[in-house]
Amino acid sequence: MANKHVNAIVIGAGAGGGIVAKELAINGISVVLFERGEWPNYDEHPNDELISQRTEVLGSPFGPDHLRNPRVVTYKGGSKQIVTPIRGGYSNNAACVGSGTVSYGAMAWRFMEEDFKLKTTYGSVEGSTLDDWPISYEELEPYYEKAEWEIGVSGDDTQNPFAPPRKKKQPMPPFEYNQEAKVLYEASKRLGLHPFPIPMLRNSVPYNNRAGCIRNRTCCGFACPVDAKNGTQNTVIPIAIQSGNCELRTGSKVVEIMIDDQGKATGVKYFDQNDKPQIQTADLVVVSGAAIETARLLLNSKSKLFQNGAGNNFDWVGRNLMGHAYTGAYGLFDYDILDFSGPGATVAWCDFNHHNPGIIGGGLLANEFNRMPYLYTNIRPPQSARWGKGHKDFQRSMYHRTAQVVGPIQELPMFESRVTVDPEVKDFWSIPVASMSGERHHLDHEHCKFLSSKAESILKEAGAYQTWQSVGGQGGPSGGQHQNGTARMGNDKKTSVVNKFGQVHEIDNLFIADGSIMLNGGGFNPALTIMALGFWVGGHLAKNFSGTKFK
Amino acid sequence: MTTLHRRDFIKTAGLAFGSVLLFPSCLKQTGSYRFFTAEEALCVIALCEQIIPKDQSPGATDAGVIHYIDRQLSGVFQYDQETYRNGIKNLQNYCRIKSGKNFESLTAIEQIKVMKLMESTQIGEKDWSPGHPSDFFNLILSHTMQGFYGSPIHGGNKDFMSFEMLRIDYPLVIGQNRYRT
Repeated sequence: MANKHVNAIVIGAGAGGGIVAKELAINGISVVLFERGEWPNYDEHPNDELISQRTEVLGSPFGPDHLRNPRVVTYKGGSKQIVTPIRGGYSNNAACVGSGTVSYGAMAWRFMEEDFKLKTTYGSVEGSTLDDWPISYEELEPYYEKAEWEIGVSGDDTQNPFAPPRKKKQPMPPFEYNQEAKVLYEASKRLGLHPFPIPMLRNSVPYNNRAGCIRNRTCCGFACPVDAKNGTQNTVIPIAIQSGNCELRTGSKVVEIMIDDQGKATGVKYFDQNDKPQIQTADLVVVSGAAIETARLLLNSKSKLFQNGAGNNFDWVGRNLMGHAYTGAYGLFDYDILDFSGPGATVAWCDFNHHNPGIIGGGLLANEFNRMPYLYTNIRPPQSARWGKGHKDFQRSMYHRTAQVVGPIQELPMFESRVTVDPEVKDFWSIPVASMSGERHHLDHEHCKFLSSKAESILKEAGAYQTWQSVGGQGGPSGGQHQNGTARMGNDKKTSVVNKFGQVHEIDNLFIADGSIMLNGGGFNPALTIMALGFWVGGHLAKNFSGTKFK
Repeated sequence: MTTLHRRDFIKTAGLAFGSVLLFPSCLKQTGSYRFFTAEEALCVIALCEQIIPKDQSPGATDAGVIHYIDRQLSGVFQYDQETYRNGIKNLQNYCRIKSGKNFESLTAIEQIKVMKLMESTQIGEKDWSPGHPSDFFNLILSHTMQGFYGSPIHGGNKDFMSFEMLRIDYPLVIGQNRYRT
């Protein structure tokens, strides 16, 4: 039986798509929200490091199925490798209702004003496609506020002198510092820095009819057993469904956006829960599959007017794939500095985001989420024993005594860092898979060195008897859980994929609302910005779309 | 011709042979492996034990790391089967040629010496083919760490031994951190 025609299709029930679906549904627009995964299971892997979003060696608890969803990575020099979600280089986010917002660390950063105008702030950078966004922080500010209040954020920006201006405070008080953070806070104050509590998409107090955080040790990388971590799965998606205007279709893999000969999107082809091919028609299609899958879907959607994929007549779809090189330092202390209250990360510094001589962008620093036992086996000072008695002694004596300060560097967009579809490799449903290739900009590594040296200086001041840096930002391709940039916004259709409202150039009823449309990832975890963009695009659609067409 | 129904057959067999008929397969299961042969397992156990040796706290053998590796090789890590099979064979050949003994029969000092050669690829192609000794070494190194520090539900870290060594709460009591002073 044919599916009933609806007003709108939203593809991907993550940070962006869940919000768009809700904005449409509560405004009387009928929506089918497609999700290739299922509802997350909260208590399947509560204390299982090897099947978590931090170490997926034995499985990917929040999807996708590692046997059905390969990707291809092309390394420098051209060697090509097929990768799965449980092997390195896949850039796995998640595939479930809520997507990454189920298991993320949940830092709730607003980008700074400069992040929206890198070119104006820093000028052109050789080898990079860096540019200004077509929207400003000021325009997005009310949507950040909506994200903070509707999804739920704990924090106190008044303690961060570098925070961008805001009209309304964050809805919940900030989390208190753990022991590690207290030590680092005092030390950084002595250095003249400006520490403050990390804003979090977690409940510091009961909020939205759900519990407050219980400081579970295993938080980042896991689903919250008391549902105190806020994602789209426990906020906007239930609201969308309750409105009666949104049908959530899980286990459904959208493989093509159908575009007619006049260049209008008419609906999507997908495989349903039983892997049967289906068609859903709609007046409007919104893609929110995250930077890699969104680009893949556009590239796989070929039509008469868009023979190289939807919105790709000027070859910008899939370009500028970015993520975050993490960079920082470790310090060893002669006492137990960790208290293992979850999630671990509580203090941050924005002193190194912008306005540091010679650095384009920079990045935040924070103390790290709780170290897990297996991951900790790779945290060692240079020249340490990797195994044997030396390994074991270190593991046993230093596990509670190792502090880490780390942060995501603003990566510079690169035209050749990209997602394409592989001509040979196909997934379980015989659809060409995403292929990631390209290198990071050479300056990323230089910027990482800067940030790592700052992290090390904080640890030294805090009394660490030995410190060492781990410096990221080399090689490629980029991507990862913070993937962004592959369908950038812009006013010129020749140098971008969507306009400032996420509308694909030349396809009036096709929109994108996820990290793909960002021009750069900031020196911040991008979740709150993706949510704000969801409210921005969704709000625009709700205002301007009535029944079957634009007002 | 009489038809022997399954239920009757089992009843009859049970009467005739007691539990002997069913027992041998169970016996065979005990102490054996899904992927490794008994001989291979001796070599792997010795390697794992040198990676995480027993001292005042348990080592890889006590924690059952071999069972973690064996189980994953027959499941998620199927693509690593060849590396193990060839790696063990190469290691045993090398040890027999150099010292006339299997790896597991060497002294601890000798074992560590050989493992350092593997780790730094100082065993050449003519003594190790196919594959590279360091590939096999790095693989078993990470698998040993996973088995020792991962959740017991995957076969290793028996009774959360490593969590005890690391002084981590086990089993995880949800929310207990909140009430700590």
